[in-house]
Amino acid sequence: MNTHFKTAWGYIRRSPFQALAVSFVLGLTFFVATIVSVLVYSSSKLITYFETRPQVIAFLKGDAEDTSIAALQHKLEANSYVKDVKYVSKEEALSIYKEATSDNPLLGQLVSPSIFPASLEFSVTDLSFAQGTIDELKKESIVDSVGFTAALGGEASLNDVISKLKTITTYVRIGGITFVGLLSITSLVILLVITSMRVVGRREEVEILNLIGATKGFIRRPLVIEAFIYTFFGCFIGWAVAFIAVLYLSPSVVTYFGEIPILPKDALGLFELFGIVLGIEIIAGALLALSGSLVAISRVKKVR
Amino acid sequence: MSKEEAVQIIFKNVSKSYGSLAALDEVSFEIKKGEFVFITGPSGAGKTTILKLILGQTSPSKGEVKVDGLNVSNLNDKNLPSYRQKIGMIFQDFKVLPERTVFENIAVALSVIGLPESGWQERVEHVLKLVGLTRQANHFPSQLSGGELQRVSLARALSVNPKIVLADEPTGNLDWDTSDMLMELLEKINKEGKTIIMATHNMEIVDKYKKRIIHLEDGKIKEGKDSKSK
Repeated sequence: MNTHFKTAWGYIRRSPFQALAVSFVLGLTFFVATIVSVLVYSSSKLITYFETRPQVIAFLKGDAEDTSIAALQHKLEANSYVKDVKYVSKEEALSIYKEATSDNPLLGQLVSPSIFPASLEFSVTDLSFAQGTIDELKKESIVDSVGFTAALGGEASLNDVISKLKTITTYVRIGGITFVGLLSITSLVILLVITSMRVVGRREEVEILNLIGATKGFIRRPLVIEAFIYTFFGCFIGWAVAFIAVLYLSPSVVTYFGEIPILPKDALGLFELFGIVLGIEIIAGALLALSGSLVAISRVKKVR
Repeated sequence: MSKEEAVQIIFKNVSKSYGSLAALDEVSFEIKKGEFVFITGPSGAGKTTILKLILGQTSPSKGEVKVDGLNVSNLNDKNLPSYRQKIGMIFQDFKVLPERTVFENIAVALSVIGLPESGWQERVEHVLKLVGLTRQANHFPSQLSGGELQRVSLARALSVNPKIVLADEPTGNLDWDTSDMLMELLEKINKEGKTIIMATHNMEIVDKYKKRIIHLEDGKIKEGKDSKSK
């Protein structure tokens, strides 16, 4: 085992309660950071879901020819404000209707495909482009009528939902980041205090090491390694507890939100999300440990 | 070896003041390679200041201190550690690391000079054998006597194979027998070619071992005492 690592481990073993205190605070910081990261991810997914689901449906006239429909579809696809254009035939419309009324099969048996109009469904890249696109569409000869997704109750309602979601997401992000920021500052201060105590406690050892020719780096390294051990331990514990909590809650959350992909539905996706969060936290933790320990060492030296 | 080559340490008109207190006043002397020199004098005469100046722990207020042709005052934070790694130092208060075993206390010096860990065992065993502490390798300083602690300090100093060994009152906390044993060791090391500079006010030791003496009083070398009493 590396001699500096052994020295750092020795300091930790000699003061287990200090080590526990700093590890728990760092653990809490990284736990909250992980949860906030997941909330930010989920809220983004929620907004993206509502923003990208088919918002506009152009119901086509019964006598519309396939070539005219295809031409209109191509025209829509060429529009940069429009995405995810999909043609829904009369048969597909019936099957959607049957699925929607599956709790009452009699309703499905009473209708035939001929009463359902074929349609072109699409989303707009930004809701502000919706009205202009609809107005243009209404001028098309094969279009009977144009409307927004029925379930959401029209443009006003959809705008309202997305606007509220964006507001909530902004609050979650600002609140979460502020909270994580405050906890990070607390962690940094605790790291500073612990490292300063170590430097003061090791004054005699530092003096001896100086006299036998130890470089500044040699003297500082165990202190920096100790800060890294606390930070990585706290990072792993905080992340692991958050991961276990999300794993435990994810079936209920996924069921509650249904088709909205608020969390990755497959295990691989979830591991990938948490892997990225862990990677970012390790980098943040390394910066925290390095800055905390070096600032503490330099401050103690200046005061002396 | 030419005369110039043989001189290892040069003090040229060195003065050192701590505020208004003059610790050394215009001190000049030379020490040759492989010499064993006692620096004697009463408390506050400037003995420790001379060792500190050689080690680069403090800088002269005036004059220059040269070791192996190197002006010690010119050493900066970057090259001072490598300079100190070539000097072994033993102290009156031992200065051993209390939370490390005897083995680890010596190994830390080897770690400082960058010797790979694979070479530690052999080197530590060698110096422990030399100072007669093989059986105490895994003891902590709290389990050792004063004489044993001083031998740990000596073993640590020798482990890095220094060119010069500085000893600041190494027998100050030891009884006569233990002091005598330590002196035998220092003499043995000196015979191996290492320069030894020992600050002491123990005149019994000085009289018994009959080495060159640099006698200080009030920060000045007292004439007639800078001589080999052998």
